[in-house]
Amino acid sequence: MIVKEYCMYCGECAGVCPHCLIEVRETSIDFNEEGCKDCGICIQVCPVKALAKED
Amino acid sequence: MKLIETDVLVIGAGPAGSSTAKHAALNGAEVILIDKKSEIGSPKRCAEGVSKEGLKKLGIEPNSRWVTKELSGVRLISPNGTDVWMKEDQVKLPEAGYILERKVFDKFMAMDAARAGAAIMIKTLARGMRKDYDGYIVSCESMGEDFEIKAKIVVGADGPESRVGRWGGLKTAVKPKNMESGIQFEMVGLEMEDPDVIEFYFGSVAPGGYAWIFPKGDDIANVGLGIVSTVTNKSAYEHLVEFVKNCPATQNAQPVELNVGGDPVGGMTKTLVKDNLMIVGDAAGHVNPLTGGGIITALEAGMYAGEVAAAAVKEDNYTEKRLKEYQEKCKKEIGDSFDKYLKTKDYLLSLSDSDLDSIAAAFQDTEFENISTKELIKLLIKVSPKALLKLGKLF
Repeated sequence: MIVKEYCMYCGECAGVCPHCLIEVRETSIDFNEEGCKDCGICIQVCPVKALAKED
Repeated sequence: MKLIETDVLVIGAGPAGSSTAKHAALNGAEVILIDKKSEIGSPKRCAEGVSKEGLKKLGIEPNSRWVTKELSGVRLISPNGTDVWMKEDQVKLPEAGYILERKVFDKFMAMDAARAGAAIMIKTLARGMRKDYDGYIVSCESMGEDFEIKAKIVVGADGPESRVGRWGGLKTAVKPKNMESGIQFEMVGLEMEDPDVIEFYFGSVAPGGYAWIFPKGDDIANVGLGIVSTVTNKSAYEHLVEFVKNCPATQNAQPVELNVGGDPVGGMTKTLVKDNLMIVGDAAGHVNPLTGGGIITALEAGMYAGEVAAAAVKEDNYTEKRLKEYQEKCKKEIGDSFDKYLKTKDYLLSLSDSDLDSIAAAFQDTEFENISTKELIKLLIKVSPKALLKLGKLF
């Protein structure tokens, strides 16, 4: 997952992740890429569109 | 690895977590309250409105250090700009209240918890937890140090991210259609028609939600909106920029802060407890599904959670069956009313911009102190009989 520089670490992506794979810290965010099923929900809900799939 | 033991570990020091910690400590439990942030209450993820009645019910005295504005009414604005005014001196508004300074308020609530006896650990992240025979062991990290906290009861007050509940097997993941994407500028230079009144803007300006202007005194206000990402292709930020560009009150306003955050508006989570585990606040869906407001319900639910947790500690009984007293209280005091709000929200979201304009026009000169439920329904039938069917079960 690509996290753009302007991510505000609000945690909305973590709240909707069906597999609980996102850990949001104060100023960083960790994705457990191994368990990701590419559902894209985290990308969809981001209020500032700071997430993108890797090519 | 260092292991700290306690009766109750509360994860997250928002209003729900601090209230839980305070009431558990006041009732005799040993409590630790942790928060991953370096400053409790910051950044704010909220429009900062609370009702006077809500604070009163909880016995919280308004304090000039965290109340920025006392409100006197509400202005509802339809897509074409038709407005409906409801002033406190004309009609009893249960949601009338104050605009807070959350960065100060949240700290005050945490300080209350500390004064009640809770230990607070900031910049402390919970990274996971495992079940022990008599509680949970939570893996934590703080300022580069890894350690564990063993608690008889863990309370997840970790906001819409809600990982603690899921670690314990509760179903707290929010569906995208139930997660409102909130975004807000705090702005200066507002030109409001009445700076003592909160404004709500409905319709396609904020698909799935609404836009708001909450005055904070002088020419300052929170200007924001909530959208549901499943019903629009634009981001919440794009909708906000458009709203600010078009709204008459913000033509000469400038942003001084940007806030974002999810708001779980799908109603209260069905199961709030398991053995040795409770969830509270946004993590438990303690958010009014209609307004998206959740400060008062978070404080209230936290009070119930803290009281039940402390009683469970006294009885040395941390079973799901014992902790269910908290869940039942939340359902009765909070969850049942949410069912009505959900139906009202469905009704409002089913209306087109022109329906909303017609309703606003019908109510524009209404004297609300004299209107009966029957008259209200008559007016709504006149505007949109089909949509009103969705409201049927409410009356």
